Amino acid sequence: MTIEINNRPYDLPDDARISLLDFMRERLEFFGSKKGCNQGACGACTVLVDGERILSCLALAAQYDGRSVTTIEGVANGDELHPLQALFVEHEGMQCGYCTPGQIMSGIALKSELERGAPSNVSSDLTVAPRLSRDEIKERLSGNLCRCGAHNGIIDAVAAYVGGEEQ
Amino acid sequence: MSYISPTKIDEALEVLSRGSGKIIAGGTDVYPSAQLGQHPDFYMDVTRIDGLKRISVSKDIVHFGSAVTWTDIINADLGSAFDALKATAREVGSVQIQNAATLAGNVCNASPAADGVPPLLALDASVELASRAQGSRLLPLAEFITGVRSTVLRRDEMVVGLQVPVPPSTMTSAFEKLGSRRYLVISICMTAVNLVLDQDNRITDARIAVGACSAVAQRLPALEASVIGQRPADVEIKPEFLAPLTPINDVRGAAAYRYDVVQEQCRRAIMQAASR
Ligand SMILES: Cc1cc2nc3c(=O)[nH]c(=O)nc-3n(C[C@H](O)[C@H](O)[C@H](O)COP(=O)(O)OP(=O)(O)OC[C@H]3O[C@@H](n4cnc5c(N)ncnc54)[C@H](O)[C@@H]3O)c2cc1C
Ligand code: FES
Ligand code: FES
Repeated sequence: MTIEINNRPYDLPDDARISLLDFMRERLEFFGSKKGCNQGACGACTVLVDGERILSCLALAAQYDGRSVTTIEGVANGDELHPLQALFVEHEGMQCGYCTPGQIMSGIALKSELERGAPSNVSSDLTVAPRLSRDEIKERLSGNLCRCGAHNGIIDAVAAYVGGEEQ
Repeated sequence: MSYISPTKIDEALEVLSRGSGKIIAGGTDVYPSAQLGQHPDFYMDVTRIDGLKRISVSKDIVHFGSAVTWTDIINADLGSAFDALKATAREVGSVQIQNAATLAGNVCNASPAADGVPPLLALDASVELASRAQGSRLLPLAEFITGVRSTVLRRDEMVVGLQVPVPPSTMTSAFEKLGSRRYLVISICMTAVNLVLDQDNRITDARIAVGACSAVAQRLPALEASVIGQRPADVEIKPEFLAPLTPINDVRGAAAYRYDVVQEQCRRAIMQAASR
């Protein structure tokens, strides 16, 4: 029973009740993923599992046995920020920063979803590729709340990242 | 407490026959409702069981394995009769939820506000169940869900999948959801419509289902019968057509408001399905 986090294997806890989020924060001291609501509503705990975004508060660590998890601690290349991290700085996509790790993990997954042509509720015509509009980005980031209200900067950063700056 | 992840269906049914465990798919309904200090003897994860993550289409049946997620549905190549189900999938929670949560979990959780139920009723879906003691059985969805958070599922039984008879290729569909805000919201009311139109733009087949306005989502047979032969724009929704609904007053909305919403949703969903 092992789980890979940011390319390193870890033994899963004996107690199956522990959530993936608590396992990372309390046992492994990966404090990047945040606990906002602990019930699936805020997105602060968003991580990637094999490249797909999920909520680590709504997951047991045991559920992801053998899978590969990426957290905010795993996206930079040494001292070099991940491109989306750099864009969050440039566009001031944060105030207190609590929601930021979740926003960035969501933004990274969002880009690959768009590249795959996955439709959202904005792109209701399923036969054409989704446009990179602001509405698309808002819709696709709707699982990540920011209590500081830094959404404008967040959307600017993600728009620049996915390469669609049309307003 | 243990966490068991069988990879074979027989193994899963054997585990369930030990009793007092809890089935987990995405866990997005189970975890938030878990009570501190109370837990089942074991969780049994269905998502690694061979074949359950597949959507398969045969001559007569479209089959959704019970580990199929909302994201799997969004990405599947299904006919226009499934557009309502796909629209539903895109409105469940957020992308993070859609990636983990399953269609079968939504149905088994049996919330009156489960968004998946109206589109499945409009597709005439059936639920495929299996247990070690009784073997398998197939039940129409309307018989599977018996009330608020209750189903006919036995303790040692699991849902293997959902079956939909292959709809006519000309069938189109639409889904309307109303919540008190745009995102991450429990429905006040939702409506799914499946239609077939003839060359004259007259309705020849209609299936209309409404959720969150009764303990279990309901088809509206009187409304379905009344629209046959009509053009979508001429459809009239009389109060008596809504007889199967028993909306309640609750924190999300008043009963009278829900009646208004249903009528408008039926109209919109019919027009939307007809325009596809
Ligand atoms: C923030 C948030 C937003 C949400 N938004 C929506 C929404 O917009 N619309 C909506 O309808 N729902 C919503 N939900 C509820 C939930 O996400 C859905 O109902 C989801 O589809 C449940 O699927 P799951 O796989 O996570 O189920 P689980 O939580 O794993 O299981 C749900 C129930 O079904 C049982 N079960 C699961 N699989 C099987 C099986 N194969 N056989 C027998 N029993 C089984 C479980 O024991 C449990 O009782 C939301 C939840 C959260 C936390
Ligand atoms: S902490 Fe997981 S969604 Fe809020
Ligand atoms: S920056 Fe404070 S919650 Fe988003």
